[in-house]
Amino acid sequence: MDLLHNLYTGFSLAFSPTNLLAAAVGVLIGQIVGVLPGIGAPTATALLLPVTFQMNPTTAIIMLAGIYYGVAYGGTVTSILINVPGESSTVMTTLDGYQMALQGRAGPALTIAAIGSFIAGTVSTVILMSFAPPLARFALKFGPPEYFALTLVAFGLLTVFGGAKPIKTVASALVGLLITTIGLDVVSGLPRFTFGTAELLGGIEIVPVITGLFGVAEVLTSIEEEVKLDVIRTKFRLRDIFITWQDWIASQWAILRGTIIGFLVGILPAGGITTASFVAYLLEKRFSKHPERFGRGAIEGVAAPESANNAAAISGFAPLLALGIPGSATTAVLLAGFMMWGIRPGPMLFQRNPDLVWTLFASMYIGNVMLVLLNIFFIPAFAAVLRIPYTILMPLIVVYATMGAYSVNNSLFDVWVMFLFSMLGYVMKKLDYPLPPLILAMVLGPLAENSLRQALILSGGSLSIFFTRPISATLMGIAALAFLAPLVRWAVRGLRHAPALSADSVQR
Amino acid sequence: MWLAELLGGGVVLVLGAAVVVLSRQLPYHAEYGPGPGFLPFWLGLGLIACAAVILADAGIHRVRSGKFFSAGSVRAALVLLLLAGVILLVPFLGFVLGFGLFTALTMRLAGRHHWALCVIVAVLAALSIRWIFGSWLKIPLPEGILGW
Repeated sequence: MDLLHNLYTGFSLAFSPTNLLAAAVGVLIGQIVGVLPGIGAPTATALLLPVTFQMNPTTAIIMLAGIYYGVAYGGTVTSILINVPGESSTVMTTLDGYQMALQGRAGPALTIAAIGSFIAGTVSTVILMSFAPPLARFALKFGPPEYFALTLVAFGLLTVFGGAKPIKTVASALVGLLITTIGLDVVSGLPRFTFGTAELLGGIEIVPVITGLFGVAEVLTSIEEEVKLDVIRTKFRLRDIFITWQDWIASQWAILRGTIIGFLVGILPAGGITTASFVAYLLEKRFSKHPERFGRGAIEGVAAPESANNAAAISGFAPLLALGIPGSATTAVLLAGFMMWGIRPGPMLFQRNPDLVWTLFASMYIGNVMLVLLNIFFIPAFAAVLRIPYTILMPLIVVYATMGAYSVNNSLFDVWVMFLFSMLGYVMKKLDYPLPPLILAMVLGPLAENSLRQALILSGGSLSIFFTRPISATLMGIAALAFLAPLVRWAVRGLRHAPALSADSVQR
Repeated sequence: MWLAELLGGGVVLVLGAAVVVLSRQLPYHAEYGPGPGFLPFWLGLGLIACAAVILADAGIHRVRSGKFFSAGSVRAALVLLLLAGVILLVPFLGFVLGFGLFTALTMRLAGRHHWALCVIVAVLAALSIRWIFGSWLKIPLPEGILGW
């Protein structure tokens, strides 16, 4: 009954004109950002963060959350119409979505993506609503050792999901952690790595770092690669967008499986929406009776990853709200936003700010309805956005990124920080160092260091505190497994190659 | 690309070494538990270890495919230089004029658009900065010699 009562309160607040407008603006921006290659959800949320400082925190989080799950919808349009994923989370959609478009079935591809996204988003909101409060109650048992162990799990999972070369993921995360040590040490009050600069005493702000790494660096990469977008010219009459009964039969289980996989991957720290869509597509192909159809325009190849990325976008709020641990770069920005509004996500959030949490949940239902309508009836308008030359949008992205960085403290120092991280991000992208681990580490760094130091103070300096408490010990075990996973993978690959090599040498 | 990988690993190595050296100037232990130098010291060592693996990997595999610099890199570098120049000139030009100029020049440089279009988009960008950030959000934007 509590749940229904909370939801009723949430809906009554979410339906206020201001919150409805915030949800509408959020999902619309998310949709457009998703459509435009070169600007992603982390950049968009970071750019709009300063705009939200004057808003009520609930209205602000509704808008920013709308951007996050709206992006997962919008990225589909470019994946299907131009074979260029608007977002990394829609990479898998290009495989079958673009093939469907070439076969003249762009309409059904976009429609099944919208329907799958809607079902996944709505079902995930129901599960999130039922799952997050008990998780928050469980997290009330957490002390500093458990929080430190949890941050270790997040860092460990980064090496599992982070990229092709785990060592570069680790290096990127270490740099992020290092950045968090700049400024006054909260325990001793001593300055660290400030080099006598007054501006560094307060540490490095996250917004200039994100706008530099994800906004300007992305623009520089696009300038270098000369992005050219050729939209498939297809007619979007109303009757062309409807799917057939056969399409629905082929997609229904893919949507369900994508939803479950997406939700499970999304709640993992460092899981994220991109990983969710990859796992969903690969599993769908593996379990299909006709795997040979995948990559040639199979509609379930669109339904599964699209459902998964939306489910993951919603379930990513579970660790953020209940534990205060972000699972992706975008939820890391949202966490930074919470801090700036003076709210600390975590177990107490459900008790101290129940209105915020339940209004956010209710707004997710409303936002998903808005998005499915936008994606079925307004696709031609979003396809038209793609016809704006990217070279016009690029300088505008840089200008607004700069404004976002400046407006955090009204300081040109932050603009220079953004500039430095633009260069760093550009070079890191060229050398294949993943960027999200740096941001996640930057957000989790203070929690990791403070809880480590508090735990060691509690134990009088003994590390045994991490292994004698059941929750902490379990989390430390999971973290160890996650850190060892790349080594195990490497060893298994080596063993598989060894017989092949010896067989080769025998043949020679 | 191999040389770039080596240089990248080298930068990580130098950064790690510098962090280890600088962290030694901070107390490693506090009265209770680790001090402010504890985490940076281990982070520095971690970076050195990562650099060792990256350098060894680059040395063993010697990937020669792909190029770090291309014709497009020059264009990207020019835009970056332009951005640095505008940030430097903001105290004299002001935010609105400075970033209006940046918009026009970048459009011309990266997209080779007609000057008229560059100017129109730049004026719209400048006006939107002034309206959204200056008037609506009331952010005190640096004003240059022209008072914009």
